[in-house]
Amino acid sequence: MPSTSLALTPGLGSFLKSLKTHPVETSIENLISLLKRRQIRHSRSCATATAYLLRHVVSVCKTSDPLKLIERVQTVGRRLVAAQPREMVVGNVVRRVLGLIRDEAEDDHEAEFALSEAGSESQPQTPRAFDDPSSSLPLDRDMLSLRAEGAERSSSRPTLHSMFSLLSHPEAEFSPISTPGTQSPNGRMPGHGPGSKDVKAEVLEGIGEIIDELGQVDDQIASYALEHIHSNEIILTHTSSTTVQKFLLKAATKRKFTVIHAESFPNNHENTHATVSGNPLGDDDELSAEAFQKPLIALGITVILIPDSAVFALMSRVNKVILGTHSVLANGGLVAAAGTRVIARAAKVHQTPVVVVSGVYKLSPVYPFDFDSLIEYGDASKVLPYEDGDLVDQIDVQNPNYDYVPAELVDLYITNLGGHAPSYLYRIVSDHYRKEDISF
Amino acid sequence: MADSVDPALTSSSASASVPAQPASTIANPPSQQTQNLPIRESKSAKSPAPSDNQSSKNKDASKPAAAFSDAAAAAGTDKPLTPAELKKKAKAEKAARRAKEKLAKEAGGAGAAGGSAPGAIQSRPPATPKKDAAGGASQKGQKAAQPRRGSAPTGQTAADEPTKKEDKSVAVFGHLYGQPRRTTIAGAGKEVHSAVLALGLQLRDYVVCGSSARCVATLLAFKRVIESYTTPLGTSLSRHLTTHLSHQITYLSTCRPLSISQGNAIRALKLAIASVDPSTPELSAKATLCEFIDNFIREKITVADQVIAQSAAQKVQNGDVIVTFAGSSIVKQTLLTAHKQGKRFRVSIIDSRPLFEGKNLARALANAGLDVQYSLVHGISHAIKDATKVFLGAHAMTSNGRLYSRVGTALVAMSAKERAGGVEVPVIVCCETVKFTDRVALDSIVVNEIADADELVSAQPLQQVTGLVDPEAPTKPDNKKGGKGASSAPKPDPSASLNPSPSPLSNWKDNRNLQLLNIMYDVTPAEYVDMVVTEMGSLPPSAVPIVHRMSTNL
Repeated sequence: MPSTSLALTPGLGSFLKSLKTHPVETSIENLISLLKRRQIRHSRSCATATAYLLRHVVSVCKTSDPLKLIERVQTVGRRLVAAQPREMVVGNVVRRVLGLIRDEAEDDHEAEFALSEAGSESQPQTPRAFDDPSSSLPLDRDMLSLRAEGAERSSSRPTLHSMFSLLSHPEAEFSPISTPGTQSPNGRMPGHGPGSKDVKAEVLEGIGEIIDELGQVDDQIASYALEHIHSNEIILTHTSSTTVQKFLLKAATKRKFTVIHAESFPNNHENTHATVSGNPLGDDDELSAEAFQKPLIALGITVILIPDSAVFALMSRVNKVILGTHSVLANGGLVAAAGTRVIARAAKVHQTPVVVVSGVYKLSPVYPFDFDSLIEYGDASKVLPYEDGDLVDQIDVQNPNYDYVPAELVDLYITNLGGHAPSYLYRIVSDHYRKEDISF
Repeated sequence: MADSVDPALTSSSASASVPAQPASTIANPPSQQTQNLPIRESKSAKSPAPSDNQSSKNKDASKPAAAFSDAAAAAGTDKPLTPAELKKKAKAEKAARRAKEKLAKEAGGAGAAGGSAPGAIQSRPPATPKKDAAGGASQKGQKAAQPRRGSAPTGQTAADEPTKKEDKSVAVFGHLYGQPRRTTIAGAGKEVHSAVLALGLQLRDYVVCGSSARCVATLLAFKRVIESYTTPLGTSLSRHLTTHLSHQITYLSTCRPLSISQGNAIRALKLAIASVDPSTPELSAKATLCEFIDNFIREKITVADQVIAQSAAQKVQNGDVIVTFAGSSIVKQTLLTAHKQGKRFRVSIIDSRPLFEGKNLARALANAGLDVQYSLVHGISHAIKDATKVFLGAHAMTSNGRLYSRVGTALVAMSAKERAGGVEVPVIVCCETVKFTDRVALDSIVVNEIADADELVSAQPLQQVTGLVDPEAPTKPDNKKGGKGASSAPKPDPSASLNPSPSPLSNWKDNRNLQLLNIMYDVTPAEYVDMVVTEMGSLPPSAVPIVHRMSTNL
């Protein structure tokens, strides 16, 4: 550990601090060891740490050749993922950064081509140079007609067609209006000379956006709360998840409902107790930001804390189950805190809807062919304390940290993009990650 | 479920140990209690008193005096009483007792017996000559509040504080809260036998826990009641003993709601008492009844358990992985029997907070050499993955074929039936017919039992009281000898030293809108149960009402 952060508990905070002062290689090693030692645990902390690290990596990277950048990010990403394969968000963030670089690189190429084509092109292509998102209505109409015209004409110009489809989105030619919105080539066209420099700047900006997204994701998800919670509802939730808490708190500002909170003994019950009672745990500085959050009970919401075993008994009175998650898989299944699966099953048996709230960053392009590889086993002493040491010697104590919940037990996902059916998630996956990065 | 008849058995067989039992449980609290509730100091200062009183009471309980001398004291010296007079007296007595109980409750268990209408009480126990002074004092002494969970101090101090601020009962379960469980033996009727007093506390503290264990312990205690019973003049055994017993039953049910098995056993016993021919001499009638109790225990529980264990063990095959939930005595017996038969199998125990009954089962099985795996409710889906059979114990089987058992059982049964792979794991319930009831249940909310929510507070797993030597035990005599030991050095709280940072829930009662729910049972739908193994054979759950009718009509 670097000496500056010795005073701090190793964790996200100390890592982010050390990032500024330390050489990049040290920082990578630092994060790897933090991940290995599970000193950075929660999905969001892992994602944030990875995003910051990658930003650092990209910014100090001497080359600005996109291919080299990709290679560099891939190597770092592989090492991080190898350090903690079950923290899938690490891989997700790496994938998104890779996708970012690729997008920028392609935009760049495209802009290059567009410029050269525009030069050689005659009449029909000229409106393209003028097209602008702020174009007025007549121009729009003009362009619509032009687009139709272009569509007709496209068959007559096979060469041009093939050239465009080679380098841009398939429909780019037919909808020139969408071009500026999605790719914003206009700004870069004049300064095309040092374009490769811009790739790096754009990538850094993009990573900044990812970091911002990580910061806002809970609030974005919470903004959907009122669409899903009605008055006087009884909601069951499990373990302590900031996303779920913010979701419920948002709803609590407008509506009265009851929350039944299963405590998720033994892995996270202390945090759960702290969450429901609003008395923060003294020793946990990692969650200090959340500690300032008001508990639900302060907003007049009745919170009933139950042991996990009572879930089935109470499920018949529950209107909705809202769960947080560790990561979401591409098939719509999820990996969540141990005990989630029985809760989701009990809900299914009682025909209670199960809603999973999760940021898009938790969505992993992973298909669970081998469930067991997704599950991590934790500290057995939490199940059987040291006082029962004689017993521990004789029996096999198991403490799984995670459960795999199959997609058919989930009714709805709420991400920062809105609500989705589990079967739709693969679409979001393909929107966010590029095929070539799925296994980088 | 978790069974430990032993304390009850010892206390009821060795009469000398009986006074020691309650006394020792009483001796503990003063030190702990006074730390936070100075009001009780006056009572706990008298802590040596109760044991004297207790033993003297116990001595004269063995004399055929209790109820009879009651009457004698009331009526002055003339022995013969008309039935009308008797009735009147009984009524007065009841009223007095009610008043006293109410008073005691109001004072939060902090006694007030001395103050209650002396005139009414005067008609009561001849054993304590000076009612107001000595009697009141000794009553108060007994009243020193108990820590919940018997002699294992849990360090939960907020427990007994009266909460006027907010109703902490969960609305849906409002109907189940009723009266809080008795915390002391204070206010117990004079008729309540000392064995029953002790049993009540053991039941409350889960020292005697598990449906069959509670049933056996109750019957044994009642046997002692019957042994020391004498029919008062002017009435017959078959008529009066029932009312005498119902005092004991009322007391027991204030300690912890009666289990289905207890109810069934009591019903059978009352039936037996009612069928005693009034002309039978008292001694032989009592002998008959004691024999009836012995037979009942033997037939309905001891032998039944053996039969069930034998037939359920046949279901175990080599290479099986058997999942069980919490700690059922009958499942333990089954697995041990199968193990003795030389079968090789693995057992996966799923346990739950706050009772951790499975720990004892795990210990027993591991000691016997079985291959045991242990996890908590959160690991159900992992444990069930490679399971081949699920064995469950029962608190009761309802008439609609549902299994009423320790909370969490339904989750295990459900997981066994709904595995993602589509393979169903057979769920086998082991249950004596004495646990069958004609009640029906659709959900776990209408019928249930609410335990003290404070049991959920301590994050540290509570020390299992059953079968463990209490580390505090040796300190007790000193505490008592130190006499007036109320103000003597406060006992270091073991759980506090183990867990330096207090649980965030430690003062949950001060948090508005926060409620803790600690229910004891849940109802498993009949479709999750494949087979119920009883001493009368293996049945589908739908056969429960038929067997119940057969066994009660016998």
